[in-house]
Amino acid sequence: MQTLDIITINLWQTLISLANLLILFLILKRFLYKPVINTMNARRASIDKDYSDAAQAKLAAENDKRAYEEKLAGADAQADSIIASASQVAKSRADQILDEANERARSIKVRAEADAELTKQKAQAQIKQQIVEVSSAIAEKMLERELNVNDHGDMIDSFINQMGESDGTDN
Amino acid sequence: MELAIGIILGCCALGAGLCMGIGAIGPGIGEGNAVSKACEAIGRQPESKSAVTSTMIMGCAIAETTGIYSLVIAILLIFVAPNLMVNILKNAIEALR
Amino acid sequence: MNKANLKFKIIDALYIAMMTVPILFGIVFNTLTKLPSEGITITGAQIYFVIPMPLQDLPITSAQINSLLVIITVLGLCLYLTHGLTEKAERKRQLLAEWIVEKTQAMVNESMGDFFKGYAPFIAAILAISALSSLLSLLGMFPPTSDINIVAGWAILVFILITYYKLKGGFLNYLKSFTEPIFVMTPLNILGEIATPVSMAFRHFGNVLSGSVIAVLIATALQGLSSIVLGWLPGVLGEIPFLQIGLPGVLSIYFDVFSGCMQAYIFAMLTMLNVSGAFPEDEYEKRRQKKLSKRSKA
Repeated sequence: MQTLDIITINLWQTLISLANLLILFLILKRFLYKPVINTMNARRASIDKDYSDAAQAKLAAENDKRAYEEKLAGADAQADSIIASASQVAKSRADQILDEANERARSIKVRAEADAELTKQKAQAQIKQQIVEVSSAIAEKMLERELNVNDHGDMIDSFINQMGESDGTDN
Repeated sequence: MELAIGIILGCCALGAGLCMGIGAIGPGIGEGNAVSKACEAIGRQPESKSAVTSTMIMGCAIAETTGIYSLVIAILLIFVAPNLMVNILKNAIEALR
Repeated sequence: MNKANLKFKIIDALYIAMMTVPILFGIVFNTLTKLPSEGITITGAQIYFVIPMPLQDLPITSAQINSLLVIITVLGLCLYLTHGLTEKAERKRQLLAEWIVEKTQAMVNESMGDFFKGYAPFIAAILAISALSSLLSLLGMFPPTSDINIVAGWAILVFILITYYKLKGGFLNYLKSFTEPIFVMTPLNILGEIATPVSMAFRHFGNVLSGSVIAVLIATALQGLSSIVLGWLPGVLGEIPFLQIGLPGVLSIYFDVFSGCMQAYIFAMLTMLNVSGAFPEDEYEKRRQKKLSKRSKA
């Protein structure tokens, strides 16, 4: 075994070294750079997906919030309108009840007056009859004569009607 | 023959010494200049110390090149040249004989 | 669940073995086959056997074998780092792998622009093979970058890349670029063109070689010094070079670790600058437009 001199130029050794560098370049490219770059790209893609998902969720949440607020405002207005209509209905019903009550009271009053009038007329008729009987008895006694009620009935009726008109105007 | 070989060896040694000696002047002056300018730059702006230092070292390594060339030639002259030249001399003497 | 965990751990152990066994094998092989030598020996790599090939014989030296071991180690490292990648990084090795990829990608994007985005694995390969080859000298093995052929191979590959990108601007434009400022500058321009890979190779090789040479010289000097100073110790103790311990280790930190990594980084940086600078943007755009218009017309 001997040693080379310090500087000896050999064509084949140069070519072999050139091939070694190329082989190492291919090794690094295939075994180090490709997996690591793939992993970094996958990580960036998943982070981007997370960000876009978060942005979408935020958008959907804002939409929901907006719809909720609208519905809330609408609910207030709806409640107000319900209350207003309900109070109006109540008021109209109350008016209606009052009117009915008034109407009934008036009709009762009218009927009561009609009843009272009728009772008065009945009482007047009774009094008239009694007066006719009493006056005919008195007249009989005074005239000593037997009166016929039927003959002198219309004379007595006209006399009493005269009396009744004056009673009516007096009363 | 001995005289010839003696001259060859002596000239190889002389050449090696002169080569390295004269070849060491240039890089020494050049790198000294570079370092002085780097020190001025650091003095003017102390925050840039690391950038200036690394640039200076890289520049010094490139300026060292010619010094390395002369070192390689000197090593060649000491270790490789005598053998080569004595062989050439012997072959020439054989051919002439 | 437990069986999957066990299988994972077994494959992990396999990858770690793939990383460390070549280095151990190299160390053992080196110590087994080192030639016994006396004094200063600064030589190239050891030849194991020679394969006869046309044009020139191919000696299989320790540089080739160490280069192969480096490639197997880097392959094991890659497989170990990317084993069990998940989207949420749980293990430390995934952080290391992602750091490597991001750093090189950032460096390439910054220096080379947008067109050369796919060059990150190439720059990482240059950095890895260069740094690891230089760091092998820490373990006592012969560093492959101490051999000019290996470094010249990388520089020739870079030169081929530079020429390829220069030719993308058109062959006539490539020839015309040599006569750029004045016509008489053509030979100097051609020399400058060749000087780029030669200087890159020599810079890298020279730094690593000079490091190992100076380390051997200092070790030998310390051995001689210790034999002079401590030679009066009796028996075996007088031959052990005590002063040789320590100082070469400190020096090797500078020469091997710092210088090796720095030269690897500079080699990669020069590759990036030259390849991106050799690409004529506007010429390429013009040719592409012309080709597109020609295709749409036909």
